[in-house]
Amino acid sequence: MNGLDEAALAAGFDRALRNRGVAAGPRRAQTFAEVLRVLPPESAPAAYWRARTAMLPSIDDLAAFQAAFLDFFGSLGDAGALRRLVRSVDAPAPARSPDAPKRETPPAPGEQPAGDRLAERAPTRWIVASSEQRLSDKPFEELDERERAAMLALIARVRVAGEYRTSRRRRRHARGDRFDFRGTLRAAARTAGELVRRSATRRRERLRPLIFLVDVSGSMAPFARALLQYARVTAVARPRVRALAFATQLTDLTPLLRHAGDDRLMAALGAAVRDYGGGTRIGAALRAFNDGLGRRGAARGGTVVLLSDGWERDDPQLVGSEMARLRKLCRRIVWVNPHKRHPAYEPLARGMAAALPYLDAFVSGHSLHTLEEVADAIEGRAR
Amino acid sequence: MPEPVDVDDLRQRLMRAGYVADAGLATALACAVSLERAVLLEGDAGVGKTDAARALATVFGAELLRLQCYEGLDLAAAAYDWNYGKQLLAIRTAESRSSGSESAQDHIPDLYADEFLIRRPLLAALGAVRPRGVVLLVDEIDRADDEFEAFLLEFLADFAMSIPERGTVAALHRPIVVLTSNRTRDLHDALKRRCFYHWIGHPSVEREIEILRLHLPQLAPALAADVARASAALREHGLRKAPGIAESLDWAQTLALLGAARLDAAVFEPSLGSVLKYPEDLQQARASAPAILAAARGATG
Repeated sequence: MNGLDEAALAAGFDRALRNRGVAAGPRRAQTFAEVLRVLPPESAPAAYWRARTAMLPSIDDLAAFQAAFLDFFGSLGDAGALRRLVRSVDAPAPARSPDAPKRETPPAPGEQPAGDRLAERAPTRWIVASSEQRLSDKPFEELDERERAAMLALIARVRVAGEYRTSRRRRRHARGDRFDFRGTLRAAARTAGELVRRSATRRRERLRPLIFLVDVSGSMAPFARALLQYARVTAVARPRVRALAFATQLTDLTPLLRHAGDDRLMAALGAAVRDYGGGTRIGAALRAFNDGLGRRGAARGGTVVLLSDGWERDDPQLVGSEMARLRKLCRRIVWVNPHKRHPAYEPLARGMAAALPYLDAFVSGHSLHTLEEVADAIEGRAR
Repeated sequence: MPEPVDVDDLRQRLMRAGYVADAGLATALACAVSLERAVLLEGDAGVGKTDAARALATVFGAELLRLQCYEGLDLAAAAYDWNYGKQLLAIRTAESRSSGSESAQDHIPDLYADEFLIRRPLLAALGAVRPRGVVLLVDEIDRADDEFEAFLLEFLADFAMSIPERGTVAALHRPIVVLTSNRTRDLHDALKRRCFYHWIGHPSVEREIEILRLHLPQLAPALAADVARASAALREHGLRKAPGIAESLDWAQTLALLGAARLDAAVFEPSLGSVLKYPEDLQQARASAPAILAAARGATG
């Protein structure tokens, strides 16, 4: 093969990957071409592994990658042999991550807000036209089509919740609490070696993670839609926000939060609800979260917001034990249950009763107004 | 660029260094070494990501520089720092000397000379004196914050680092760079694009037996096979934390210590604590002990 062939082959394979929804990109294709030139594969398995290490962006993309490999190289050689090859290589099962939707290209580092203070601390003032004022107290499920659109737009005005903790990183600060040798000596160089200016550093502050776990099953749908909208608004305004939806299955929506349009978000929600009306498997969803992101530390030091009515289809005991685990994996748990708005509400749903001992806050979050309570609860402030 | 290394050859040499790599991992490492580009290894805890870097260092007789990432990791800990105490001392010494009649010019110390520079792993990695003389292991990169990731991106792009007081330091020979991640968060794609990628899964039974026997040469072959098959069976059970290779090794060692010749009911229960670390997992394993023991004996189904 000469140089042109390798580059063409790599570019062609990149195209095949893109057709399967894997965004490998030209840089990886260039790397692949170099690999083919420097380490020409002597067999089909060798070619497979070279392609994989150079072009596979993440283990989550493995199934699509293998399909693309067959698409592309299958047409070049003996298709049957290649298929056997792809099946025979010890394809590892991606670790417990819920079947995540295709990732968006995340913003480049530095593009994200560097954790500016969330400006507004005061409660949002709902000074709006009278029809909108009525809207702010109306439960989400009683809204008609037009009102719902207005409501979704208004959610952008709800205060963005965020809690800070001191980071291990230090930065120079006029009223810092630790003497800064390096800065002081550098400053001394300007004053003929005399230590005139004292420089000091202070610990930076960082936002704590915020995770939304949203029950999107039938009865919860209107409330879930509103809370997810709030999650989106939050994710745009600050870093470290994740959202996952569940009904019968846990689905990570995080990659879609910031950029994707409503239609894509809704399509992803569909994946979380495999069989409609099948009820909610809260315990199983919590377990999937705990075993995956939770165990790997995504919620550590942060707040988990759970939206559900607590109707567990399976074993409520599982809800209890998984809540106990979740309790140990995060800093604060806020449960949002729209039914709580009724004065006579009692947590009789068995899943709800099992979860109750582990909650830091229990709020209704059923209307625009009460979303403010959710924001407060996230920060650990009771109203 | 130095001579490329052959995949199978590297695999053999890793084996001699005490590390069993499958075709995929060997390919990823060979590509990284041949093209002088970083390799990103992902996988569950305990599948041998860090050991891969260690073995690579042994194979090339290279110095292993390990940078353990954590949140708040900054340049002073990752790249370089100045020895401030020594700098101050040099200033004072120069002052006391120049208080005499001689011209002060002769005694001005260079405060940013090599002797005052403390080289941390990233800077030290640029100082290889021969090709493939240094393996830089950036361990658990997912624990570091975005800022460090962005810095690493620059570092990997041209293997150079600018020190304001000194100018740019560039590598004469590029280090072999191994990044590992436990996937507590998604790494930035810009970083991943610059790396070869390999996911280290749990090993097949045959490979695990190989690993056990390589690491514990005194282990009875029958016991090694039992442990490998039982670990594989445990991984099928949907546990909180499926046992990795590290746990299998612990288990085999524990069993050897208990004087067991095979893995049977008598030693299963007392040794289980070396493999499973969650009470729920232990409970589940105890409940299905007969099935696991049967699997350990090689009975299928």
